[in-house]
Amino acid sequence: MSEQVSQLLESLREKAGKGDLLYIGENIVRVDSLEKVLGKPVYTADLIPKGTVYAKLFHSSIPHGVIKHMELGAAKSQPGVLGVLTWRDIPGLNESSAILPDRQLYADSIVRSTADILGAVVAETLPAAADAVGRIKVDYERLPAIFDPLEALKPDAIKLHPKGNIARQMRIRKGNVEEGFAKSDIVFEKTYRTQFQDATPLEPEMGLAIPEDGGMKVIGSMQSPHHTQAAVAKVLKLPPEKVRVIQAVTGGAFGPKSDETPFDVCSTAALAAMKYRRPVFCGLDREESMVMHTKRHPFVITHKTGVTSDGMLVADESKIVGDTGAYASLGVFVIVRATFHTVGAYEVPNVKADSFLVYTDNTYTGSLRGFGGPQAVFAIESQMEELARKLGMDPLEFRLKNMLVPGKRNATNALMDASCGLPQCVEKVVASSDYRRKAPLYGKQRGGLRRGLGIALLMHGNSLGPEGNDYGAVHMEILSDGTVSVGTGLTEYGTGAISGMMQVASSVLGVPLARFKLERPDTSKHRESGPTVASRVVVIGGNASMLAAQKLKAKLVPLAAGMLKAGEDEVSIADGVAFIRKRPSASVKWDDLVAEAYRRGLSLKEDGFFMAPAAPWDTEVGQGTPYVQYTWGALIAEVEVDTETGFYKVLGVHAAYDVGRAVNPGGVLGQSYGGTVQGLGYAMMEELLHKDGQVVNPNLGDYYIPTSMDIPAEFKAFIVEVPGPLGPFGAKIIAEPPIVLPGPAIRNAVLNAVGVSVDDLPVTSEKVLMGASKAARPSR
Amino acid sequence: MSSLELFSPTNLDDALKFIQHEDKDVAIIASGTDLIPRIRKRQVSPSVLVDISSFQNDLRYIRNSGGVVSLGALTTLTDVLESPLVRDRLSALHEAAELFGAPQVRNVATVGGNVCSAASSEDLIPVFMALGAQLKLVSAKGERTVPLEGFFKGKRATKMKPSEILAEVSFELPKGRSWTGFEKLGRRNMLILSLVSMALSLSMKEDLQTVSAARIAMNRVSERIPALAVKTQEFLLGRKVSSETIAQAQKVLASEIALTSDFRASGPYRTEVAQVYLKRLLLRCSGRIRGSA
Amino acid sequence: MTKRVVTINVNGTEHSVQVNPLDRLIDVLRDELGAKSVKEGCGTGDCGICAILVDGKLVNSCLMLAAQCDGRRVLTLEGLLGDPTMKRVQESFVVNNAAQCGFCTPAMLMASWDLARHSANPTTDEIKVAISGILCRCTGYYQIIDSVHQACGESKR
Repeated sequence: MSEQVSQLLESLREKAGKGDLLYIGENIVRVDSLEKVLGKPVYTADLIPKGTVYAKLFHSSIPHGVIKHMELGAAKSQPGVLGVLTWRDIPGLNESSAILPDRQLYADSIVRSTADILGAVVAETLPAAADAVGRIKVDYERLPAIFDPLEALKPDAIKLHPKGNIARQMRIRKGNVEEGFAKSDIVFEKTYRTQFQDATPLEPEMGLAIPEDGGMKVIGSMQSPHHTQAAVAKVLKLPPEKVRVIQAVTGGAFGPKSDETPFDVCSTAALAAMKYRRPVFCGLDREESMVMHTKRHPFVITHKTGVTSDGMLVADESKIVGDTGAYASLGVFVIVRATFHTVGAYEVPNVKADSFLVYTDNTYTGSLRGFGGPQAVFAIESQMEELARKLGMDPLEFRLKNMLVPGKRNATNALMDASCGLPQCVEKVVASSDYRRKAPLYGKQRGGLRRGLGIALLMHGNSLGPEGNDYGAVHMEILSDGTVSVGTGLTEYGTGAISGMMQVASSVLGVPLARFKLERPDTSKHRESGPTVASRVVVIGGNASMLAAQKLKAKLVPLAAGMLKAGEDEVSIADGVAFIRKRPSASVKWDDLVAEAYRRGLSLKEDGFFMAPAAPWDTEVGQGTPYVQYTWGALIAEVEVDTETGFYKVLGVHAAYDVGRAVNPGGVLGQSYGGTVQGLGYAMMEELLHKDGQVVNPNLGDYYIPTSMDIPAEFKAFIVEVPGPLGPFGAKIIAEPPIVLPGPAIRNAVLNAVGVSVDDLPVTSEKVLMGASKAARPSR
Repeated sequence: MSSLELFSPTNLDDALKFIQHEDKDVAIIASGTDLIPRIRKRQVSPSVLVDISSFQNDLRYIRNSGGVVSLGALTTLTDVLESPLVRDRLSALHEAAELFGAPQVRNVATVGGNVCSAASSEDLIPVFMALGAQLKLVSAKGERTVPLEGFFKGKRATKMKPSEILAEVSFELPKGRSWTGFEKLGRRNMLILSLVSMALSLSMKEDLQTVSAARIAMNRVSERIPALAVKTQEFLLGRKVSSETIAQAQKVLASEIALTSDFRASGPYRTEVAQVYLKRLLLRCSGRIRGSA
Repeated sequence: MTKRVVTINVNGTEHSVQVNPLDRLIDVLRDELGAKSVKEGCGTGDCGICAILVDGKLVNSCLMLAAQCDGRRVLTLEGLLGDPTMKRVQESFVVNNAAQCGFCTPAMLMASWDLARHSANPTTDEIKVAISGILCRCTGYYQIIDSVHQACGESKR
């Protein structure tokens, strides 16, 4: 036997020893990498067939009022215009809403924001449609408008919706905060505010509808094809099976593409396609996208916190107000996450929280990466910093004393078990940032440039948790040429999670990912798997993927054993080879195994379905286990502030996340880097502004997201693995968590550098210089 | 917009002949990075676009002739950034070019386009103003040279006639005991409109302490156009650059400028930063002058 | 608007196209000449997603008028698929997880290729400047920078 061959055999034996973990923890080449670096035409706008006409939405020009008259004649008579769609053209329900049925597709009477859609011009070309939109005149009767959620909460505020201005309310009642305050040595209250953030996926929202087979085929940029299917079917008054929705390769999403906007563009394209019997493309340009799609909820959060003089948290009372704008959208769940995370990664024996999701006449808010977490954690982590200063304690020591570790209980009184990896995360970033040496040093600075370190810790409840049934389905078929074809209603839009999910199957089956192929998510082929949100693809989809793979393996291993004349328990599959573990030279290649299966008429098509265990909690008091699993994290940011201008740089970020099991470490790091930079934008420079309900800066020249010149020179990202109970091989979610901590960590770092507390995001140089509230340097 | 015409002359003479007789609303376009977005947003609606980008080589140059630097109007920002003359002798111009837009924008944006846009977002204008630039305006009838100072009538409005094209920006190379500098503040590091931008051209007397000439230009002084801070300049003339002088100059500047607030930043903040930049530029330029003597 | 015929060399082939004055280069490339790798992110020159090479210089194709490209040489990703330097950059992107949603990838590849052919050993700062006009929302830029280092022969940052 040659050296090479025996090495190969030894390698197979070793790999067999890994069992299902064969490829877990390896950096993979994503299944969709190639088409992206080759610039293949796979996005929605690349798929427009000849003869397609264009639909351009037009929206309200006022924030609150009643439509008196729409003058469409001039628009309709423009050359190239086929017609103008309004609410009158809707055969089914005039509805385009995610959860609460509070939003129409096209306003028929009341408009509640400048994002409200009134209709669509359909024309032969895009310029013709855009030109015609400019000729539409609408007369409104203006109604008084509210732009401040605190105003909307007042008892005498005008009602923006029939049932009033509160879309949802929640509470936490743990222990007794009044008793807690009585026992506290220091009671401190402060209010924190966050801003509207735009998700800014580089590909805006778009949909293409093609009439087909007595029904409609819809291709679009989206996160949730089945939800889009349901929405379009309702509008068209067609049975859902007649609406086939396919998710095209999607150029970024971050949340808004799981909310109403894909419904809006796809329903519009479908309506026009139905009416004019032509393929129709409906897309948003950047400005339209920034006005119309959902933003991150701005929050006003007040914390009143009691601590003992030796630094133990005793009680926290929070009032949490989220501005959901004109419509509730996914706000009904954002408020839930924000509430459950109100005291963040800390144990507080007595917690009282009252939260309100409030309507205003601003453009509406909904899903955005983090989903209430960034806002809640900004507030609590800022409050922790202020408390540390009041106590004269080092901010790290104060956090260490109170942070959740196995055995402690969080805000909902859920018990943290051994899967809590927070301490390991903290240890990593403290060491990496050299915190213990630098922090006291920086406390003594004098010069014009001052450095500071800021810490923030993360508890992030996994997956949908309290939002509803959390399930996923994966279809897996081994084709005659040996390709493993995977189909699912879960979608890929940049995170690489779908490849991670497939990597799980690849690992269980023993076949390299390179042999796998992903089908485009297609409602006519793939079972409904819920929305692709909450970072749940690897955890939920991964389990479904594993189940499908296990079923296939259960067919192939006996077949291979038969072919190799060995017992089933003696045979393994690794690297696309089925072999007898004790004698790896006795082997069958994957392709031959599959061919034999086909010869024998074995079905190599299996489905895997996984539903997470229910997350029970008491809605009256917000206590229980709304989340089955948590991702943990710690981030230390180092900034340098120019004390004369307030301008500051983030010199370094040290971030560690406990992801349970890193299925694809390169992918985990990609999320860490990307999410951190998006969080850095949220912390430093992003702010979508409204003035009297109009978006002031719906363009990328006035809304700033970080460029390559804004990223910290030093970024140390760490992966901690403390397996959790839910995901495949103990995996926890990672896609959203990294956006949460930069905001408070940078805010705290600036505070430590120059003694300025900025309590409302973003932390701009102006706020730093002009001083939101000047705080004395703590004595240490 | 639907009746827009485009004329693409291949040389300057043809362009000038065309616009002399054209009575419709004409706009000159080189890179289009400023004009095209504005046309699409319907902020301006010219009837005719005269595309002068195709005779680049006639108007694309950076020359130094006997101490007079001239830049052709079609010189790109990348040309400026890559010029050794600019890097070594015109610090403010190099600094402004480095912070300008991004590579794709620098590759096509022109010196002429910057000046003629007359917008306070165009960083080269304060730099040229501090350098005491002259503008060569050409028409079919001839040419005239006007100072950049005073060239703006108001926001996005210049004193150029409809029959004229800007051909060249020129200024004297700062002589011995002179240095220039540029500062800019934005909300992020690149691809950013200036909240405040300032250019200084400083010259000192033989004692290397006394100011013999100072030109301070900002993207906005009291109106929404770039201008010189003349009171502050006057104050500095003949004074020694010391911390007291600087502190006093800052006060003069604060009283001279009236910076407005908008959604990007407040007037008081911009004023604070302007004063800091004045100090830094004075220290940097005077330090450099002393150092190289 | 009067249409005119312009001749543009796109990826080595001369094309004569009829254009209106305000027709954008990006639309002619995508709709008439099949260069779908050129993406649109904002239409206002603020994101760089549409960046391609015109006469060897990186420019935003959404701001350039097709009419201004008469006689010019345009290079898009389609035209570089056989180029060995581009292949190295692409492989490096794949291995380093630099393409997440992929929407900025063609522009990033053009900018990276342009840098790689001019600079044997770019520093991290030089790479950052080269891509400073192209926005990416997914990667945070780090893995893209690593890719360019690796493609230019350097070991990872």
